[in-house]
Amino acid sequence: MSALSELSKLKSKGPVTAEQRAARRKEASHDNKAGYLFLLPWLVGLFVFTLGPILASFYLSLTDYSLIQSPNFLGLDNYARMLTDDRLHQSLQVTLTYVGVGVPLQLALALGVAVLLNKGMRGLAFYRSIFYLPSMLGGSVAIALLWRQIFGTTGLVNQILQLLGFEATTGYVSDPDYALWTLILLNVWTFGSPMVIFLAGLRQIPTMYYEAAALDGASRISQFARITLPLLSPIIFFNLVLQIINAFQAFTQAFVVSNGTGGPSDSTLFYTLYLYEQGFTRFDMGYASAMAWLLLAIIAMFTAVNFLLSKYWVFYDD
Amino acid sequence: MASLGAVGTAAAGCSRGGGGSSDSGDGSTLQFTWWGNEVRNENTQNAIDAYMEEFPDVTISPQPGEWASYWDRLATQTAGDNAPDVIQMDMAYISEYGQRGALLDMSEHGADTSKFIEGTVESGIIEGSLYGINAGINTPTVMINPAVFEAAGVDIPDDMTWTWDDWRAVAAEITASGEATGSSSIVSNDAMFSAWLRQQGKELFLEGNQLGFSVEDAQAWFEMMLEWSNDGAIPSASQIEEDASKPLDQQDFIVGRTAMSMVWSNQLEAVEASGGNERRLLRFPSIDGDAMERKAWYKASMLWSVSATSPNPDEAVELINWWVNSEAAAEIERAERGIPPNGEISESIRDLLSDPQQRVAEFIEAIEPELAETPIAPPPGGGQLGTIMQREGNAMLFGDSNPADAAQAFHDALTAALG
Repeated sequence: MSALSELSKLKSKGPVTAEQRAARRKEASHDNKAGYLFLLPWLVGLFVFTLGPILASFYLSLTDYSLIQSPNFLGLDNYARMLTDDRLHQSLQVTLTYVGVGVPLQLALALGVAVLLNKGMRGLAFYRSIFYLPSMLGGSVAIALLWRQIFGTTGLVNQILQLLGFEATTGYVSDPDYALWTLILLNVWTFGSPMVIFLAGLRQIPTMYYEAAALDGASRISQFARITLPLLSPIIFFNLVLQIINAFQAFTQAFVVSNGTGGPSDSTLFYTLYLYEQGFTRFDMGYASAMAWLLLAIIAMFTAVNFLLSKYWVFYDD
Repeated sequence: MASLGAVGTAAAGCSRGGGGSSDSGDGSTLQFTWWGNEVRNENTQNAIDAYMEEFPDVTISPQPGEWASYWDRLATQTAGDNAPDVIQMDMAYISEYGQRGALLDMSEHGADTSKFIEGTVESGIIEGSLYGINAGINTPTVMINPAVFEAAGVDIPDDMTWTWDDWRAVAAEITASGEATGSSSIVSNDAMFSAWLRQQGKELFLEGNQLGFSVEDAQAWFEMMLEWSNDGAIPSASQIEEDASKPLDQQDFIVGRTAMSMVWSNQLEAVEASGGNERRLLRFPSIDGDAMERKAWYKASMLWSVSATSPNPDEAVELINWWVNSEAAAEIERAERGIPPNGEISESIRDLLSDPQQRVAEFIEAIEPELAETPIAPPPGGGQLGTIMQREGNAMLFGDSNPADAAQAFHDALTAALG
């Protein structure tokens, strides 16, 4: 806004008559009206489908709303209940493991592949698409079903292991020791979208830095550590924040792989899965709403910590 | 913000005082919802058309659905005060809706179950109110694959005298033969747990939202299941988990990887169609080896309910009456929703039934002398029993807990769910 008004000041050099000013105001208000008209669908969406429900869910988080009966006010009971809810703690543990292990692995792989693809090879567009494809499909039901097949008792993984002479009979998606790791693997596999962003970032780094470093005799590794990583750090930060938020909200894969139960033995009980169970299976929408607010708080906290820490490692070039 | 979105959708759906569906003037409109499969969708639409032809002043607006999304939608519609008038209901949810005042007591609106076979009306009665009318008779069976028995060289047991131990022994024998695993798991099977409890004078649930069994009972069940597992009578824990998440047509028993399984009688036709060979229905066993004492029961495969907020309750009940008591409806539906609970009707369509459906009808009739009281519907939260049992029972089979701890955890979680 302020930049725009500065701009208009610059344009309107010289004396301006009262009529001219009035005409400009009229024109501007006309423009505003058109702008708001075009914004209207988005504004309606924001207030009716986003802000409204968010506020409603906050109110419901203070009630015993069962979806069917009208809600009774409980105060903070739902939040107090979380302290003693073992399955909620289990779901937090599962989700934190998923975020803590899955996101760094995914970003490392994305960065690695992006660096390889940045070498300017032939058919770059093709490889870029191939690597990007899984992230378009990763959240889908079809891929989750495929995952269940591949890591099943008689699935591809076991068939290969048996060919190699191992006695592999357990189903990885149905064994509590492995189930979460197959989902982490699924997440890592969908590294395409951070990779594309890394690739764009790598393109921005001027080649003269590398040329100068090469003249000074710097090795590839030290070029990567001293030029690529610092200059790429804003992009790494961006991907990190985004992927952490995404990972906290993981739902579809776990829902499909465990048929909505979070099984075996709650080993894939993601936070969102437990929230869904409380809301739609147990008709405890009040508690589910409170859980949604806790998730919001956790994500906000992680994001805030990320921003605070970014001061120490993110390097802006300007 | 997917999670907030999920809650938000429900919240957005709760704007009250929305459009009711009462079209006064020329007749009434009934919203009619069900979950199903292709065959059922076609049958149901045909029956709806037939009804509208017979009663031109009623308009029925169909809302077919899939099981997986059906309950989310119904909950949201109910929350938004625009539940469909006629609702296909399941035993697992009937108390959830009935006790919260979302369903009509149909006995006050002319529901006619006078010709129903004994023991088939009770399923839909909760604390004295008729919230659901049985849409088809079902009964738990032990279904077997005779081809696997033959290949394994094991005799099919006599289901009038067999015990739970016999089931385990026969299953272990089949597993030992290497042809297939003897039995699919019943660790978390609520029907078999219920049967076993009833044979000891207990129940899953009692009136007043109470559990009808103790921690010790659950422990004894889990100990028995551990024994089955150790004998190889049932598959490994990870295979059990995997089987539970598969669609019917890929399950171990259907494709011949297990020789026996607990299956509801109305599924015989679907099992044979997917499995490709004939299966047999056996009575589930008893503790004392006497089928007359096995405490069998008729369950509703599904029920018909009417929304408590329906603007046309009488018309909705009249439609259900026609659905369960008229030959016209039965000739269209046959036994797709289970054997009709109205004895005269089920007699009248007998010749129209397919071969597996006829065998089911014979089985249902043959076990009549063995029937005990119909178990009450699970109370609100009770529909969780199977899921909780699977979680704790399988944790035990994975070796992560023992029968005593699993029983305690199961009992605690279920008690909490009943709240």
